Amino acid sequence: MCDSSHRRRPGQRTKPRKKAALPSRRALIGTAMIAVAALVGHAVNAETADRPNKPRRIVSLNLCTDDLVLRLADRANVASVSWLSRDRGISNVADLAMQVPINNGFAEQVIPLDPDLVFAGRYTARPAVALLKRAGFKVLEIDIARSLDEVRDQIRMVAGAVGEPERGERLIAEMDARLDELARKVPRRRLRVLVLNPNGFTSGAGSLVDSIIVAAGLKNAAADLGYTGFGQMPLEKVATSDVDVLILNGRHDGLPSLATELLHHPVLARLPPRTALFALPPRFWSCGGPAMVEAIERLSHIAAGLRATEPSE
Amino acid sequence: MRSEAAAEQHARSYPTLVIGLAALVLALFCISLAIGYAPLDLKQAIGDAVAGRPTLAALVLTELRLPRALIGALVGFSLGITGAAMQGLMRNPLAEPGIIGISGAAALGAVTTFYFGIAGTVSLALPLGGIAGAAAATFLLFVLAGGGVGTMTLILAGVAINSFAGALTSLALNLSPNPYAVSEIVFWLMGSFADRGMPYVLLVTPMMAIGWALLLAAGPALDGLTLGEDTAKSLGFDVGRLRLQLVGGAALSVGSAVAVTGAIGFVGLVVPHLLRPLVESRPGPLLLVSGLGGAALTLAADIMVRLIPVTPELKIGVVTAIIGAPFLFSLIYRLRAEA
Repeated sequence: MCDSSHRRRPGQRTKPRKKAALPSRRALIGTAMIAVAALVGHAVNAETADRPNKPRRIVSLNLCTDDLVLRLADRANVASVSWLSRDRGISNVADLAMQVPINNGFAEQVIPLDPDLVFAGRYTARPAVALLKRAGFKVLEIDIARSLDEVRDQIRMVAGAVGEPERGERLIAEMDARLDELARKVPRRRLRVLVLNPNGFTSGAGSLVDSIIVAAGLKNAAADLGYTGFGQMPLEKVATSDVDVLILNGRHDGLPSLATELLHHPVLARLPPRTALFALPPRFWSCGGPAMVEAIERLSHIAAGLRATEPSE
Repeated sequence: MRSEAAAEQHARSYPTLVIGLAALVLALFCISLAIGYAPLDLKQAIGDAVAGRPTLAALVLTELRLPRALIGALVGFSLGITGAAMQGLMRNPLAEPGIIGISGAAALGAVTTFYFGIAGTVSLALPLGGIAGAAAATFLLFVLAGGGVGTMTLILAGVAINSFAGALTSLALNLSPNPYAVSEIVFWLMGSFADRGMPYVLLVTPMMAIGWALLLAAGPALDGLTLGEDTAKSLGFDVGRLRLQLVGGAALSVGSAVAVTGAIGFVGLVVPHLLRPLVESRPGPLLLVSGLGGAALTLAADIMVRLIPVTPELKIGVVTAIIGAPFLFSLIYRLRAEA
């Protein structure tokens, strides 16, 4: 597994194994890379060649940054993304991730790739991030997006960092066009919705899921009940919250755990019919990215379907 | 030697003790039903549930609170009675399912069937896994420290079984393909009654009941065993069969208990220890009262867990350990003083 996921690029073979004098060594490799790039032209497309300052060995350590990097950067410039992004249950870019090497968030896997840009989440792979920073690598830490505006900012930031600002703007424009389309359908009544995650966690006010719910023209029941951010909600409270829509954010791939078993508790199946149950997999809302527009679309579609069956007042 | 008068007094006070403990269990059971996270009008909820009205209150009562209280009582009874039986059989006050590794091995058995999807296809596999683990540990314990060996050997055998089972449980959780599995080791090591639904109650009750019956039936033989193995044999008790019966009973009750709630420590230690003076140290009568006492202790601990405002909810094993560990210390201190 190690060999296949860390195939080195031609330029790196010249790298000395000594640990000292890292920056100068990296500069040397950089020069070597440019020279080699001319020789192995098929690996580097024409656009990249136009911009010599563009990072060419991008590493991403976090599922959410994987998503943006794989969408925005040229595949040839992505040296490695996290192993999670190949998991179809949580990743929206699993197909793209199959085409690049993966890492498990260990510094040891990253350093041999000699990355010129590393993306990491603010809360993940902390030991690796600390080590990479100490070794002088350029690490960009991306916070968890909590609103659509923050998602737009992050797309711009990542697009700029990988040297593809136009692609970022295009992606944002596509998202906004779809959101505008949804905004035209103003709901008559805002249905109350609750999102239940594995282990009984729910997303309250100020969370990404909250902004998805609001953008879909619904009301987040967890926020109404005083939950902020990510908080655990006892099943008793879930059962008595009396919401219109209960969304179970669980994967149905038959991998058992106590955390996901909670979503199959008999009490949820026996809730009165006025509460509609839906399953929406985690890949829509684990990260703030273009996929969240799809989550908003699905939610407003669900809401529209429910409103259609409602008796009109 | 007990005097005739004391024996007579005991014969009179034993039913009182059993009824008193049963009343305590019932009271705690009702408190457990009344306590929860959602405001609930218990009277109305019971009325709705009995009348079959599918209100939210009835739903919370029947699908969440009732199974939780039932599991609390069943598991506590199992742990208490098994502790008393093990202590009687090994003639050692430290023989407790948690300390000597039976619970840990049961957790390993349950984890293996649960995380690798066997319990998902055959639901009975979960308690059977726990029972197999518990039986293996009890058997191993007898091989290592069977038949009246010193406390030291027993405890060391328990330490060995416990750490081995714990390591293998951790390994099984690491190998599980579900990303949540690894963090769930706390449940298996510390136990919880939270959100275990009615299907689990129905799944484990028959097995537990068989286990209790096996243990309770061993009462007279355990009394005979207090006079020594040879005397017990001369009194007509088959000591080999007794051992097998107790190992089977312990495995069935603790194995199925741990399979649904994780390992909850110290219940089988504290309860028989507290109640032993009340039954004049006779292991036979101690069985039933320890079961009831165990049920009362776990119900009380589970009530406490829900009253302490900590989220995520405290694991019940944390509470029983805080209560139980001082008992263990005092027992060890006393054994040391006797040595």
